Amino acid sequence: MLCERCKIREANIQYTEVINGVRTEHNFCAQCAREMDFGQYSAIFDGEFPLAQLLSGLLGGEVPAQKKDHLKQIVCPTCGTTYEEFVNNSCFGCADCYGVFDLLIQDNIRQLQGSDSHKGKRPVYRSAPEPDLEAGEEDGISQGREDSPEAQIRMWDRKLKEALRMEEYETAAVCRDKIRELKGGDQADA
Amino acid sequence: MLKWFEQPEQESGNIVCSKVRLARNWSEYVFPSRLSQEQSKELLSKLGEGLKDLGDLDGRDYESAYLSDLTELDRRALQERRILNSSILEKKSPMSLLITREEDISLVLNGMDHIRIQVLLPGLRLAEALKTADQIDDYVNARFDYAFDEKYGYLTSFPTNMGTGMRATAMVHLPSLSMGKKFPAMLNDMGRFGVSIRGVYGEGRENYGALYEISNQKTLGRTEKELTDLVNKVAIQLNDQENQVREMSLKRHRLEREDEVYKSYGVMKYARRLTMKDAMTFLSQLMSGVCDGLVKLEEPCPVFRLMLGIQTANLQKLSDRPLGKEELDMARAAYLRSELPGIF
Repeated sequence: MLCERCKIREANIQYTEVINGVRTEHNFCAQCAREMDFGQYSAIFDGEFPLAQLLSGLLGGEVPAQKKDHLKQIVCPTCGTTYEEFVNNSCFGCADCYGVFDLLIQDNIRQLQGSDSHKGKRPVYRSAPEPDLEAGEEDGISQGREDSPEAQIRMWDRKLKEALRMEEYETAAVCRDKIRELKGGDQADA
Repeated sequence: MLKWFEQPEQESGNIVCSKVRLARNWSEYVFPSRLSQEQSKELLSKLGEGLKDLGDLDGRDYESAYLSDLTELDRRALQERRILNSSILEKKSPMSLLITREEDISLVLNGMDHIRIQVLLPGLRLAEALKTADQIDDYVNARFDYAFDEKYGYLTSFPTNMGTGMRATAMVHLPSLSMGKKFPAMLNDMGRFGVSIRGVYGEGRENYGALYEISNQKTLGRTEKELTDLVNKVAIQLNDQENQVREMSLKRHRLEREDEVYKSYGVMKYARRLTMKDAMTFLSQLMSGVCDGLVKLEEPCPVFRLMLGIQTANLQKLSDRPLGKEELDMARAAYLRSELPGIF
């Protein structure tokens, strides 16, 4: 099909417009599409489409507006990356960000990667007392040093995750502050 | 010491080179984007110290350098030789590079991730590149505990690398296939197979030299071998299709093909000025001519070496002073006149 605007090039963009319930379809070539105004979608046709922007769209796109303000408050206690920064840059600040933002992004990760579980190589060498969040969840491991700041951070982190899952953002904010407080002492090497 | 792309015994096929890159992070530090200058320096000195005997692993000589100690031109030349990528060049914080003299193995430290291991080999040798990268990975891992998650695998700065942290890439020369009408549509369709293809050189939408890079799109949920096999398969498939089109054109239009190749050679041998676009187009013609046996070079010389040679930063480096556009075109022509081997 030829582009309906220039009638020269092959149309490769289908644009569907719904105005007051009336649906109209248009077919344009990439060049004409670029020259026309599609509001926020215009960027798609601007030559090289920055991957980060595309990802940001994917990662943050489907969150309803009213939830957004709550989400903005979520901050990784280890590196200080906020959810907003994460969405804008499509970039994790540290390994712990994966845990902090996990519930918010796991669907998007599945969309982006087509999977959500690693199948490939595993590190041959791993330090034995792994201060890993996963490991911390097994009761036996954390019991011995329940009062240590690390154990407390893990505990609050678990609560934070749970609160996020339940969409209880006030509780999550409290957990986040607790974690920040506990981390406060050793912020320098965070 | 000849660099990987200078080695003359390379087969002159359509598949120029294979690259495997692993992204890793040390669990002790936050990712590079969150490190302060001081923390970056501290990380680099620890990584540098831990990896100083890397050569013991494979008996190779590694040179190491802080990227800030190199000139801007050196860094851009390294980008042209596919050691650094553009995001690294823009990054301001301290970074360092460990690299063999042949430039086939390189490690960028504190780039977009703490450690990025890259193995680059001529021809289609992804499995071999993966094996080498894997060995270096284990060596690094024995000294530095990796950020790893049971569910998400190796944790990387970007969600596009998580899981295996691996990007396998094959560079293919597709001068005939890329002229086809359906080629752009085919490139778009490749996403469905889980690979992405992009033109290597060019400006805007225009491609110079018909070189394309095929890489795995996804990094999570599949093993390293599955991913390299996929890229391998697509590269072979495209190579075969390219050969089919070329065989057909040789049968039907041999004289025209020969004429094109020899004209390209002639222009490069005698021209006084060559733009990047022209030089890349002529070299692409020569590359397919050598591959199809239409022309034989007196000395074995990988055409890709010449393609790397005529890039801007390399020409500026050779001339030892900044060159304007006109001068650059002259330097490019001069480079080709002197480097192009004779033909039989």
